[in-house]
Amino acid sequence: MFAVLKKELKSYFLSPIGYVFIGLFLLMASVFFYLDIVAYGITNFEYMFYSLATVLTFITPILTMRMFAEEKKEGTDQLLFTSPRSITSIVLGKFFSAVLVLVITEVLTLIYYAILRFFGSPNLLTSSVTLGGFLLLGMAYISFGMFASSITENQVIAAVVTIGFFILTWFLPDFSDIFSSLSLINMFDKFPSGQIALDEIVTYVTFTLLFISLTIIFLQRKKSVK
Amino acid sequence: MITVKNVSKKYGSFVAVDNISFEINDGEIVGLLGPNGAGKSTTMNMLTGFIEPTEGEILINGFDISKKARKAKVNIGYMPENVPLYKDLTVKEFVNYMAELKYTKKAVKKEMIKTILEKTDLTNVQNKLIKNLSRGYKQRVSMAGALVGNPKILILDEPTVGLDPKQITEIRNLIKSLSKDHTVIISSHILSEISQLCKKVIILNKGKLVAIDTPENLENKVSNSNSVLVTVEDNENKINTVINSISIIKEIKLLKENEDNTKQYMIYAKDDSDIRKILFEKLAKEGITILELKKSETTLEDAFIELINDKGGNK
Repeated sequence: MFAVLKKELKSYFLSPIGYVFIGLFLLMASVFFYLDIVAYGITNFEYMFYSLATVLTFITPILTMRMFAEEKKEGTDQLLFTSPRSITSIVLGKFFSAVLVLVITEVLTLIYYAILRFFGSPNLLTSSVTLGGFLLLGMAYISFGMFASSITENQVIAAVVTIGFFILTWFLPDFSDIFSSLSLINMFDKFPSGQIALDEIVTYVTFTLLFISLTIIFLQRKKSVK
Repeated sequence: MITVKNVSKKYGSFVAVDNISFEINDGEIVGLLGPNGAGKSTTMNMLTGFIEPTEGEILINGFDISKKARKAKVNIGYMPENVPLYKDLTVKEFVNYMAELKYTKKAVKKEMIKTILEKTDLTNVQNKLIKNLSRGYKQRVSMAGALVGNPKILILDEPTVGLDPKQITEIRNLIKSLSKDHTVIISSHILSEISQLCKKVIILNKGKLVAIDTPENLENKVSNSNSVLVTVEDNENKINTVINSISIIKEIKLLKENEDNTKQYMIYAKDDSDIRKILFEKLAKEGITILELKKSETTLEDAFIELINDKGGNK
């Protein structure tokens, strides 16, 4: 897993992709840092993450769309899947490399925490819970984005499917309450209030595991029908 | 040692590879031949574990490629068709990644990469990005990727396509030198290449195994019609009457008329007797100038065409 992880992480920063993702995220973070926090004269670091969850919904495909689609298009999947590495370790390697980029991005948002710390006393616990919840949301997003990338060799389709699915789950609760536990982004709301929301954590983790498994199963299955 | 037992690959109702079985022993260098769509690449993809056979099993050094994938795949170095590469990496980074994927131990990795880059003559471009390299270099990078980890078996899908003649010779020599301590399987469209390199040839047609033998045996196997190629200067057009007067000649066929008024014929004998002598004497007597006279040889190409026309089902 680590061989793939290392190479994928490197690729994010050898190509513009990693910088575009982090840059866009921090740019939006600065906007919402001003709009959600500075404009109100408060020091609640966690408030900006409500908006950033929305931002994440739209920029996750930057990290995930190329994962398997590009390999397939370029034919490099032949190198990867004929190596002695198992599909599971390849999938996990790719998944965690994207997660690591997200972690790096979150660490960089601590700049805003530091700024607030200078002017007042942001709540460390609430902020940590928020960052943790945000990471779980991100992992769920990445797992789906990765799955979408594994079913097509067209990166644009992978991206559109990913965003489309997120938007769908976002608005599903408007149709019926049955779907309320399907809306990843709405579930995030509890974390910035400082709650360690068990239901939400379980849902995120389950969702993540489900789509990692589906990616593995799909790639395995493709070997027999390809 | 590669053992292929009753392997088939089906896509729905389309049969890409139909119940083929063969064995390849250690140290052999084997050519995989077939017209387009014969199932060569499918076979290679199955041998390398990229796709699963629908039926049958493939053993690499005794390990089933589907069930004991890791142990089987460690033994294989694969150079896929169209040389897919990670273009954002440098040559060295790419080879290093391939080494890591193949569980190369850290202690030997650096030295091994160095040796392989030297062997494939890539040392001077090792820090260049792959996307900036020419086709010939890319081909060698792909080869280096296959060599990494010192696998016992090398599977090379069309290794010389798109190279200039000098590079082709280089790659061929490299393959030759590698065959000393590797089992090599090559697929190629260039038959002369296969007959030069390989000690054994597997011919596929429409998914079926048509022949497996040495190139020499295959050449001998095809109907070795006793024929002679002549180029003559025959201004009075007498050759046909002359030929008809020789009883042991079955047929004469005009191959081409050259611009300098000479004609090239293929002349077939009725039996195994050598007709060159009698041709020379009779033609000379009639004042027909012989510019060229030679026995035509069957090549692997002839054998190949005959085999795929014969046993492939439809002519």
